Amino acid sequence: MFVAALALVVVIWETYKALGPADGGTLLGVRILPRTSEYAMPHVWDMFSRFNRPEVRGSDRSVFDAVLAGAWYSFRLSAAGFVMGGVVGVGLAVLMARFKLVQRGVLPYLVVSQTVPLIALAPLVVSWGGKLEVGPFVWPRWLSASVLGAFLAFFPIAVGTLRGLAAASAASVELMQSYAASWTKTLFKLRFPTAVPYMVPAFRLGASASVIGVVVAEISTGLRGGIGRLIIEYAREATGDPAKVYTAIFGAAALGLTMAGVVIAVDVFVMRNRPKESVS
Amino acid sequence: MSAVSIRNASKVFNLGKSNQVDALRNVSLDVKPGEFVSLIGPSGCGKSTLLRLIANLLEPTNGDVVVNDKPAAQARLDQDYGMAFQQAGLFEWRTVRKNIELPLELKGWDKNARALRANEMLQLVQLPEFGDHYPWQLSGGMQQRIAIARALAAHPPLLLMDEPFGALDEMTREYMQGELLRICAATRTTVVFVTHSIPEAVYLSNRVVVMSPRPGRITKVVDVSLGGERNEDTRNRTVFFEAITAVREGLRGMHAAHVGLGNDDR
Repeated sequence: MFVAALALVVVIWETYKALGPADGGTLLGVRILPRTSEYAMPHVWDMFSRFNRPEVRGSDRSVFDAVLAGAWYSFRLSAAGFVMGGVVGVGLAVLMARFKLVQRGVLPYLVVSQTVPLIALAPLVVSWGGKLEVGPFVWPRWLSASVLGAFLAFFPIAVGTLRGLAAASAASVELMQSYAASWTKTLFKLRFPTAVPYMVPAFRLGASASVIGVVVAEISTGLRGGIGRLIIEYAREATGDPAKVYTAIFGAAALGLTMAGVVIAVDVFVMRNRPKESVS
Repeated sequence: MSAVSIRNASKVFNLGKSNQVDALRNVSLDVKPGEFVSLIGPSGCGKSTLLRLIANLLEPTNGDVVVNDKPAAQARLDQDYGMAFQQAGLFEWRTVRKNIELPLELKGWDKNARALRANEMLQLVQLPEFGDHYPWQLSGGMQQRIAIARALAAHPPLLLMDEPFGALDEMTREYMQGELLRICAATRTTVVFVTHSIPEAVYLSNRVVVMSPRPGRITKVVDVSLGGERNEDTRNRTVFFEAITAVREGLRGMHAAHVGLGNDDR
């Protein structure tokens, strides 16, 4: 099904390219249909064949290698962001589940935090990070991108985990009470296992959010080495080499899919012995 | 010496607020070791509240609750009782065996001792081959038997049950009643059992405590002289029907007193 959908997109792209007007359609001077020239819409096969050719003329590094290296770099940053977001998200969820007061005080701010545009936040985090120096620890530039990934990732994780922690039935909470189990024991023996079906989709959202955060942060702070930087660099060359930027976009998509795939693999593993029904 | 001793216990929810509820007023009850006592009454009569006072899941507003000759709070800390609810409430991420081991784990038993006891309990509830299954692979009746095994795993002297068979069909229910009596006889466990089925209460109990609502209190205690040995024939004996009639009259007397109060469901 996934392959069929992909094929359909390719067919639509190429059909429009073949049939659509080269200069796009205009209505009352406003362009409403995209242009179909080679510069605006390169052939799909050009995008793919571009992978095989050198990144810059005369270089022995192909675009494929460059995109792969960029995606790998961004993947590591996203993974770091995802882990940070996971720790912060789960930590906040536990605090909120433990103390109703914290929940009432913090939860609204979490919601507000997600309305701050990432682009505006990125330079701030970079400049704060640049001023941070604790003993031998110097804030590396890549950490800013990871932090921004974490900033996007922690929110769905915190909310999903909180919901899961609160999902334990009254009877099972009473059962743990009847065993005189402490809050911590109840947390690990009852609440976390109950929360797993809620945490899995939350982490999946968090994983893709961390990728978005990192790529956007790379673009807006101009951090070198990652797929975000490649997207801007290749986009600048679009007039002479229109297919090139798409290779970086494919790289970013593959990066997101890989991240989601890792989380799905973990999901399948932790849910292997659960009844086959889903929570929404 | 009594297994449970309740002296003038009252429980008021939302004390002093507009939605104040007198859940229990001046309730006194003694349960002897080895006795099977049922609490029966309409919704809102406080039978579940009374059970939770014994379990120390709730504190009484007034009065004393003594379990196993200690304050209820201490008895809970010492895990002197096991508890079973209407929903079996097994943890779906644990195998049947691990579910039974849960109270032992919390008591800090080592792995071998736990495994040994889990096997013993699986034998007791006659499901030895289901130890490595997951709860959702079992029928409702089987799940409830595992819940009983879990409640009794630490060999507590007292078993508290809150409508444990309420969600089962009639056939399974009668079978489970027989099973419960067999298990309790084998382990000599004292039971306090909440139900709203009259035949169930009579079939299982040495004494049936009839309760009434608003405020929750004990209106009648029916002694059931069926003797120790109970089987399917018991359900046809005259004594059985007489006890059922006595309990029903206890419940009806209170109902008559409440005619005209309107909505009796609350």
